[in-house]
Amino acid sequence: MVETKKMMWMFKKDIMVLWRHKPRLIALILFPIIMITLFGYGMGGTLTNIPVVVVSQSNGPVTNATLNAIKSTSLYNVVNVINDPNKGKQMVMDGQVKAAIILPSNYDDMQSQTPKNVIIDADSSDQMATGALIPTTQALFSQISNQLGIQELQSMGLSSSAAQSSQIQVQSQTSSQLLSSPATTTSGGINFQNIVNSINFQINKLYGNISYIDFLVPGVLAMVVLFSCMFGMGESIAGERERGELARLFMTPTSITTIVGGKILSKLTIETGRAVILIVVAIILFGIVIAGSMLLTLLLLVLVALCFVGFGIMISARVSTQEDYMQMVQPITLPMMFMSGVFYPVETMPWIFQKIAYILPLTYANDALRAVMLKGVGIGAIWVDVVVLLGFTALFFGLGVRGFNRDV
Amino acid sequence: MKYCVETFDLTKNYGDFKAVDDLKMKIKNKSIFGFLGPNGAGKTTTIKMLTCLALPTTGTATVAGNDILKNPNEVRQKIGMIPQMVSLYGDLTVKENIQLCGDFYGVTRDLRDSRADELMEMVDIKYAENKPVSQLSGGMKQKASVVASLIHQPDILFLDEPTIGLDPTTKRVLWDMVEELNSEGRSIILCSHDMYEVELLCDDVGIINRGVLAAFDTPQGLKDTMINERKTEKTSRSSNITKIVEEIQKEASPKENASFNKIKDYIEKKNRDSMELSIMISNLDENIVNQLEKLPITYNITKQHSGRIVIEMEDSEESVTQIISSIIENNGNMTSISTKDPSLEDVFVRVTTKKEKVGEE
Repeated sequence: MVETKKMMWMFKKDIMVLWRHKPRLIALILFPIIMITLFGYGMGGTLTNIPVVVVSQSNGPVTNATLNAIKSTSLYNVVNVINDPNKGKQMVMDGQVKAAIILPSNYDDMQSQTPKNVIIDADSSDQMATGALIPTTQALFSQISNQLGIQELQSMGLSSSAAQSSQIQVQSQTSSQLLSSPATTTSGGINFQNIVNSINFQINKLYGNISYIDFLVPGVLAMVVLFSCMFGMGESIAGERERGELARLFMTPTSITTIVGGKILSKLTIETGRAVILIVVAIILFGIVIAGSMLLTLLLLVLVALCFVGFGIMISARVSTQEDYMQMVQPITLPMMFMSGVFYPVETMPWIFQKIAYILPLTYANDALRAVMLKGVGIGAIWVDVVVLLGFTALFFGLGVRGFNRDV
Repeated sequence: MKYCVETFDLTKNYGDFKAVDDLKMKIKNKSIFGFLGPNGAGKTTTIKMLTCLALPTTGTATVAGNDILKNPNEVRQKIGMIPQMVSLYGDLTVKENIQLCGDFYGVTRDLRDSRADELMEMVDIKYAENKPVSQLSGGMKQKASVVASLIHQPDILFLDEPTIGLDPTTKRVLWDMVEELNSEGRSIILCSHDMYEVELLCDDVGIINRGVLAAFDTPQGLKDTMINERKTEKTSRSSNITKIVEEIQKEASPKENASFNKIKDYIEKKNRDSMELSIMISNLDENIVNQLEKLPITYNITKQHSGRIVIEMEDSEESVTQIISSIIENNGNMTSISTKDPSLEDVFVRVTTKKEKVGEE
């Protein structure tokens, strides 16, 4: 039997204790802000101002236009423009720049039948920088090549061979290859044949221009709720049991359901408040947009919190100290964080992790939150996730209340 | 209701370890019962089962007339407990803790507040009602715990080591309170290692050892039992020695027989009721001791440090008079004199070093 008055007392007590523990309250508010800020700037931001050197071995309008194009791209910070390819390579190896973009000596020669090989000597030890530089540079030179080809076709008639003569080949070399091969070598590089043709490539982003931070926020929201609920329940139940405070309540004619209910009520209120803070901070700092219903997002977060509070209760039901609780919870929460698609889509993980991911409630929480926040769908599209989360919640509470050890 | 607590083969196992083993015990209603036992004897486990904080493995008990297994909430409503570890919320004030307990026991708000005021006045903690419990001293925390435990006016009050770590003044306040609560008609069950406290307050005492009830009686009854047991043991030892002497005497010469008769007389003399007297003499010297040894009523004299002597002697008032007279005649300056009757502590040590089961009351 659940006794509302006693449950409200539990709720009131937890809120009063939190209010009187100012450091705990501040940490509680700061934690989601710090999490989203760190993840947002550390993992979700766009790379800019990567230092590069341009090796220009020719002069002319095409070279000038190319240099201007490179300098106006925010990804690059052109440290210098030089004319010695070996010096450019050395600058990469010395760590002065992340890449050297080497334009060939025939770059401005429109009459030349020889392909124009543009080489990128990239510092592949910095995977992040290289990963951003190579595709952007390829795209840039592809665009330049196309424009040059079209111009030539227009000025010289519709000769495709003439157009092909103006092709620019972009060749990239990683720094490990730089150590063993000269800058002009093409072996091991990637050649991109740009074809001046009539095919238009159109990209339709069905859910708008979603950046990594947009992808990350729903996952981080669920993750913050997970950590907060799991670790919070350790203090709330195992901690109170250890300090003998729960004993006082167990001495009274009060059911375990009431005591657990009171704990849930206070935890849910606190977690909902934190989720709101998290969303507001993500909107202010990173300009994320919630495509779907804000109410549905909040309700989902409440459900997620309920599920993990249940998980916490299930674990804390039988442990007698907070230390025991933490030892039991840590091996569960950390793998759950990495396997539930918070940082990478579940589908990109090894098959065994994918199988495990689908027995973790955080996977369904992420899926539902992303669907609502990014795709803007309603409850109809996420009902499977909701049902699974409700199932997990019922299971956790059932086992938790059933196994709750009243012994003090 | 004759008994406030009655246990029926109450047993609690932790794995293979039997913390409480087939406990059968009856505690008289409206009495103060002292529950003693060495650390790990099963005392706290028994109290936990009786207060519905732990389930028995087998057996059951009735507390305030209610079965702990069938009606645990009725039991909880009729008992109060002041646990060893104070379990009030440290971040709440005294008053808030008391209000929380009152509401959890279902006491109406008006009644709760008036009782809280009355009880806080009684234990002298009213002035600290708005202080967080974490900021109180150990004694004040214990007083707050008492109020929280009494807010619903329980019929039975369990106290688990209530005065541990308290100063003598606060101890006395708690003892007075226990006596007052008992005089109001409440049964008190007191777990303690303080033998003085138990002897002072308790009508009956139970000693649990290795999970079984090793002794159960009034404090004086336990001491008397110990005195009788000692006498029985002494008699048994003496008769055994006498039998051996008589066996040897059968083959002894008349001259040797005289010596054996002296031994038998000495054993007989020692076999008679004896008592021990401990006397502190500031100017103790060999002459005083020699004169005392010559007295026919003394059996043995042991000199201890700082001028104390322990005299084993005939158990009679005349013997005490003779000894005191002898010391005065030899210019001895006595500063203290006491008999060596067994204390409750002696009983406790004796009972808890035995292994056999005593059984119920």
